[in-house]
Amino acid sequence: MSTIDINVKHLTRVEGHGNIVVNAKEGKVEKVEWQVPEAPRFFEAMIRGRKYDDIQTIVSRICGICSISHSLVATKAVEDALDIKVSEQTDMLRLLMHYSEQLQSHVLHVGYLVAPDLFGAPSVVPLVGVAPDAVKTIIGVHRVANQMSELLAGRVTHPITLIPGGLSQVPTEKQLRELQDLLKAQVAPLVAIVEVVLSVAANLPAFERDTEYVSLKKDGEYTFYHGDIASTDGTTKPVSEWESVANEYVIEQSTAKWAKWNRDAYAVGALARFNNNAELISPLGKKVADMFGLKKGCCSPFMNNVAQLAEAAHVVEHSIELIDKLLTKGVKPEKVSVTPKAGKGHAAVEAPRGILFHSYEFDKDGICLGGNLCIPTNQNHANIQKDFEKFVPQFMDQGEDVLRQGLEMLVRSYDPCISCSTHYLDVKFV
Amino acid sequence: MLDTLPRRKVCISMDKKNETIVIGLGNPLMADEGIGNELVELLKSTSGQCSGVDFLDAGTGGISLLYHFEERKKAIIIDCAFMDQAPGTIKRFTPDEVETAKKLAHLSLHEVDILKVIQLAKQLDQCPEEIIFYAIQPDKVEQKQHLSKTLRDKLPQYAKQIQTELEK
Repeated sequence: MSTIDINVKHLTRVEGHGNIVVNAKEGKVEKVEWQVPEAPRFFEAMIRGRKYDDIQTIVSRICGICSISHSLVATKAVEDALDIKVSEQTDMLRLLMHYSEQLQSHVLHVGYLVAPDLFGAPSVVPLVGVAPDAVKTIIGVHRVANQMSELLAGRVTHPITLIPGGLSQVPTEKQLRELQDLLKAQVAPLVAIVEVVLSVAANLPAFERDTEYVSLKKDGEYTFYHGDIASTDGTTKPVSEWESVANEYVIEQSTAKWAKWNRDAYAVGALARFNNNAELISPLGKKVADMFGLKKGCCSPFMNNVAQLAEAAHVVEHSIELIDKLLTKGVKPEKVSVTPKAGKGHAAVEAPRGILFHSYEFDKDGICLGGNLCIPTNQNHANIQKDFEKFVPQFMDQGEDVLRQGLEMLVRSYDPCISCSTHYLDVKFV
Repeated sequence: MLDTLPRRKVCISMDKKNETIVIGLGNPLMADEGIGNELVELLKSTSGQCSGVDFLDAGTGGISLLYHFEERKKAIIIDCAFMDQAPGTIKRFTPDEVETAKKLAHLSLHEVDILKVIQLAKQLDQCPEEIIFYAIQPDKVEQKQHLSKTLRDKLPQYAKQIQTELEK
């Protein structure tokens, strides 16, 4: 048997820093580790002493890809703490905003990160040469998702319309109609993207591992925004008890915290949502899942990418319905008035990468005394490690290169968001 | 209580884009890494009357820059940059005048190399005819809300230089 020495530092095409370490001698695995040596971000310290209506602006900078999710969950947690109820119109417009990020992020992930793997291209840049039409179709759908974010959130990244109690500005009915037309026109391109991915889906490694899947769950709704915390192991808890779901702990191989609930690891993300809510997905979402043979109970992490495609279809269909509801009721600007009070609040939303929890405590003047944030990718780390431990023995006889590529694809299938703090250039003049 | 954050004016639309865009990149919670955000907001407030120009704090949005490049003739990108210069130095250059020294930058959703996004935009035939970088060498990149004094003191100078570029 061969000797394997994989040491992938700064995994490519993952947002941030992640290392893959595998050592094996003469067919015997000595070390298999998923390491996350990211720097701490200190957001929980940064929000102390801040006013209640600054929180969503600060935490939106946690991530450039899921800034809407962070802003939304923070706003919901602040509203929970200050006992603020929002109108049905606000709730629907925020859900639309949330859908825009799901669509943006899912299309980006499948198109820019997963498709290059399936086509055997090192990144999306060379993929343009291999499949130019597919890349252009992906960019077209991504464009509409960005327009949707601009309309609902005020800009594509780091929203500016969200305020505790409501929205500082709402779109006009004419703008919503235009958005609805754009969304209706995305169904055919989405199906085209699905067919392209389906044509190379055989390149997804055949790998399964039974695990626990955790997501939001609500009666009658494939939920990204409302409901309780549910596990495929049958347990449910209210969002206010999220800390006893995540049970965060530290481990030597990572600076990121890990999480566990009913077992030694759980998974969050599109596949977790699908496994908890599959029967509620929209007709087109179900059609996409059926095309790939994705069924409730699936335990292949690589199918998370397929679940993302099914969800992209779902959010387009449900957004069209939501706009119909909004237009039927009529959209009006709403005045928001908030009186600060002391309190502690909790909230959860489904970020594209999985369930996201925020909690905050405020004094009587609405000044933040502290907070606790738990991001989806941290909840996946232990599960990725457990996958590695099964994946390596299963694929190690295929050689180091195949194993390395498989492990990288495995990590990417979770769509991880490890560290999104900076965006500087590092250049040399030529 | 700590400082409250500035309130951003919200103007939502899906109207046609202006021909020129000024994009500020970075994270305002990482000291000088936020120079792009700070400067673009300053330019927006002082050059708001500039017709045909959009100003955007694009934060750390990464590959979404592709979308902001579409339908533009000119893009000015303001960013913090490690260039082996004295802290506070501002350099104007085009993408062709530099090569990346980023070690971990293959293409990712977030930790993306802007030069690669420009390469992708060119391949897709949706690249502005002209892209100009205004890059500023940081003094400090750390977990902190405000710019270093070195960069803060030079904000008017940076703004004037970019304003002159816009008036060309």
